[in-house]
Amino acid sequence: MFKAFSFAFFHELQEIKNSWYRLILLTLLPIFSFGFLVVIFYKGVATELPIVVVDNDKSDISRRVLFNIDATATVEIKYRVTDLSSALNLVQTSQAYAIVEIPAHFKRDILLQKQPKVTVMLNTQYILIGKIVKAALLESIMHSAGEVEYLKNLVTTQNSEESINAITPIGLQVTPFYNTYKNYFLFLVSALLPSIWQIFIVIATIVSFGTLFKAGREREFFSSEYIGMKILGKLFPYTIVYFLLGVGFVAYIYGTLGWVFQGSFTVTFFAIFLTVIAYQSVALLFFVTGFDYARSLSLGAVYTAPAFAFLGVTFPVDSMNGFSVFWRDLLPVSHYMELQISQANYGVDIFMELDKLLAIALFSLALIPVYFRFKQRLQG
Amino acid sequence: MKFIEVLIAEAKLIFTDVAIVLTIIGGVILYSFLYPQPYAKESVSSLSVTVVDLDKSNISRSIVFKLNATPQIDVVRQDNSQNDALDALEHTLVKAVVIIPAHFQRDLTLGVSPTIAVGADSSYFLIYGSILEGAMRAVLTEGAKIKVANLLKHQMPLSGAKDAYTPFSINSINLFNKNNSYTQYVIPAVFILILQQTLLIGLGIFGGGINERMRAGEYGIYRDAKTYQLLLSRVVIFGTIFFVHMLFYFGFSYENFHITHIANIVELLTFGVLFLLATVMFGIFLGSLFSSREIATPVILFSSLPLVFSVGFIWPLEAIPSFVHTIALAVPVTPAIHGFLELNQMGATFEGIREYALILVVQIAIYGFLGYYCINKNRNFNEQV
Repeated sequence: MFKAFSFAFFHELQEIKNSWYRLILLTLLPIFSFGFLVVIFYKGVATELPIVVVDNDKSDISRRVLFNIDATATVEIKYRVTDLSSALNLVQTSQAYAIVEIPAHFKRDILLQKQPKVTVMLNTQYILIGKIVKAALLESIMHSAGEVEYLKNLVTTQNSEESINAITPIGLQVTPFYNTYKNYFLFLVSALLPSIWQIFIVIATIVSFGTLFKAGREREFFSSEYIGMKILGKLFPYTIVYFLLGVGFVAYIYGTLGWVFQGSFTVTFFAIFLTVIAYQSVALLFFVTGFDYARSLSLGAVYTAPAFAFLGVTFPVDSMNGFSVFWRDLLPVSHYMELQISQANYGVDIFMELDKLLAIALFSLALIPVYFRFKQRLQG
Repeated sequence: MKFIEVLIAEAKLIFTDVAIVLTIIGGVILYSFLYPQPYAKESVSSLSVTVVDLDKSNISRSIVFKLNATPQIDVVRQDNSQNDALDALEHTLVKAVVIIPAHFQRDLTLGVSPTIAVGADSSYFLIYGSILEGAMRAVLTEGAKIKVANLLKHQMPLSGAKDAYTPFSINSINLFNKNNSYTQYVIPAVFILILQQTLLIGLGIFGGGINERMRAGEYGIYRDAKTYQLLLSRVVIFGTIFFVHMLFYFGFSYENFHITHIANIVELLTFGVLFLLATVMFGIFLGSLFSSREIATPVILFSSLPLVFSVGFIWPLEAIPSFVHTIALAVPVTPAIHGFLELNQMGATFEGIREYALILVVQIAIYGFLGYYCINKNRNFNEQV
C-alpha cells in the first residue's frame, strides 16, 4: 500500500520535473504574485494625497488653516483655485481627492463669534481613500480651530493650562488593539496572500489530474490498484510545496517584517497544512464531476476567485447577508483567516481554535466521494 | 473564402465548446450575482461595544447614551472592570471597549479635562474607523454641550453661546457615493474586471485550443481563412456577446443593486466599445501565445487580485510604486475602471476622461498588431511542420 503511495509520489515528481508549466505553478507564479501584492502595499501608509482648496477669505486665519492642512503628512494642497466648479472638475477626474472651501468673511465672522463653516467635500466614491483624507482634514481643521480658541481663551484667562482645557472639556484617547491603525499593509496583505494562495492550490491540483486524464493515461497510472493511495501520493508533492508557501508568507509577514504575532506558530502552521488538504480535496471534487480538465478549471475559478471579498477582512462578516455567510463558510480560507487573525492578534490558546481547525478539516471528507468516483470511473 | 463563412465556422467552434460557453455566458451572469453578495447590506451595521463606567455620574451616563445613539456603535454590555471588558473583547463578544474614568464629573467641573479611553479591535478594516468616528461624535457633542453651558455661566445669552463655543466649525460633504455604500464602491470597478477577465479567459481557451488542434494537424477554418478574417470574426463574435453583457451589467445589474449611473449613455457606450475592443485584441494576442486550452484560466485568474489593487481605486495611486501602475496601464481594465468610474459614478465628461480613452485606442492598435502577427506566425509554423 505504501508502495503505491510512493510510486505515485515519485511519478508526480517526475512529471513536475518534465513540465515547465507545473514548475511555474509551484514556484515562480505564486512567488511573483505574492511579491506583486507586497510591493503594492509596501508603503503601508498613504501620504501626500492631493487635494484642492478654494480660499474665499485670504486672511491670516484662513491661510493658517490651509497651512496646517498642508503640513499634515497625509494630504497635500496640490491645487489652489478660485471657483468651486473648477475644483469639482479636479475631483471628478481623480486629480484631487477632496475640496476644502473657506467662506468669504471667514475672519470677520470668527471675530464676530458667528461660527463660520469650513466646507470639506470628499470623494467618497473611493471609500478607503475618502476615509483617510477625511480623518486627516478634520483633525487638522479642528486643530486650527483649537489654536484660535486657545488665543481667545488666553486673553480672558491669562493662564495657558486653563485655556487649553477649556478647548476640549473631554479628552478622547483612542488605542488601536493589535494593529497600528494607519498601516494598511498588515490589514490587506495578510489577507490577500492566503486568498491568492488558495487559488494556486486548487488550480495545481486540477492541472495535475487534468493533464493525466486529458492524455488518456489514467488507466495506465492507476491500473485499478490502490486507487486511494495513488490519489494521495499524486497530491502529496503539491501538499508539501503549498504548505511551505503558506508557512513562507506567515514567516515573511510576522518574521521578516516583524509584525506582532501573539499566538502559536505551531497551531497556525497546522492550520495551513489542513487548509492545503482541504483545498486539494475540494479541487478533486470539482474534477470528478465530469473528469473534464477545462471544465473543472472553470469551476475552480468560480469557487476561488471571489474568496477575498467573503473573508470579512475588508467588510465585516456581521454586516453580511445570510447567503454570503453561507458561501463564506464553504471556503476553507475564511476559517483559516479567522484563525490566523486570532493567533496573530489575540494569541488565544489552541482549545479556542478547535472549532476552526475542525471546520477546515471537515473539507477533506470530500475525498470519500472522490475516491468512489475514481473507482467507478477506472473500474467501470 | 468569404468572411461570412469564416464567421459561421468560428461561431460553431466557440459555441460547441462547453468550457468557453460556461465562462463567457454562465460565468458572466453568475458573477454578476455572486460578487455583490457580501456588500448587499451596503454599509457596516452598528458594532458591539462594552462600556466600563467608573464614574456612574449623570454626565457619564449621558455619554453612554450618546454613544449608543450614534449609528456606528451599539452598547451591548457594561462591565465593572477593565479586565472584564478586555476579556469580552478577546472572546470577540465586543469590538471595542470604552472606559470612562473615575471622578469624571468632578474633573469636568474643575475644568481639568478628563479623558475617555477607547480601545478598539483594529484587526479588521472598517471596524476601527467606524468606532473611532462614533466615539468622536459622541464626545464632541457632549463637549460642545459643556462648553455652551460654561459660556452661559459667564452671562452669555444662549443664542450667542451656541455659536461662540468654537471659533469655526466644519461642514463635511460626501460628493459621490453619499452614504458610503460598499456596493457603490466595489461593484462598479469589480464588474469591469469581471468583464475583462471572462472575456480574456474565453479568448484564451479558444486561442489555446486552436493552437492545440493546429499542432495535432487537424484541419479547420483556422488554416483556410485569411488572418485578418480570423481576427475580424473573433472581434465580431466576442465583441457582440460582451456588448450585450455590458448592457446587462450597466443596465439591469446597476438598477438591481441600486448603483449610481449618471453618465451620458452615448459617452458611456463609446468608452465601453473602446474597452471591449482593447480587451478582445488583448485576448486574441494572449490566446495566440497559449499552447493549450487549459493555460488561460489559471493565468488570468492569478492576475485578478494583483490587478484590482494596482488600479488605484482602493489603495491610492500616490502610494503605489509607479512602475506597478505603469505595468497595470498596459492592461485594458486599468484605464477602463478609471474612465467608467469617473463617467458613471462621478459625473465627469468624456473630455475629462480623454486620456484613458486614448490609452485604450493605443492598446487596440498594439494588441491588434501583435495578435495578427502571432496568429500569422503560428499558422506559418504549423504549415511547415
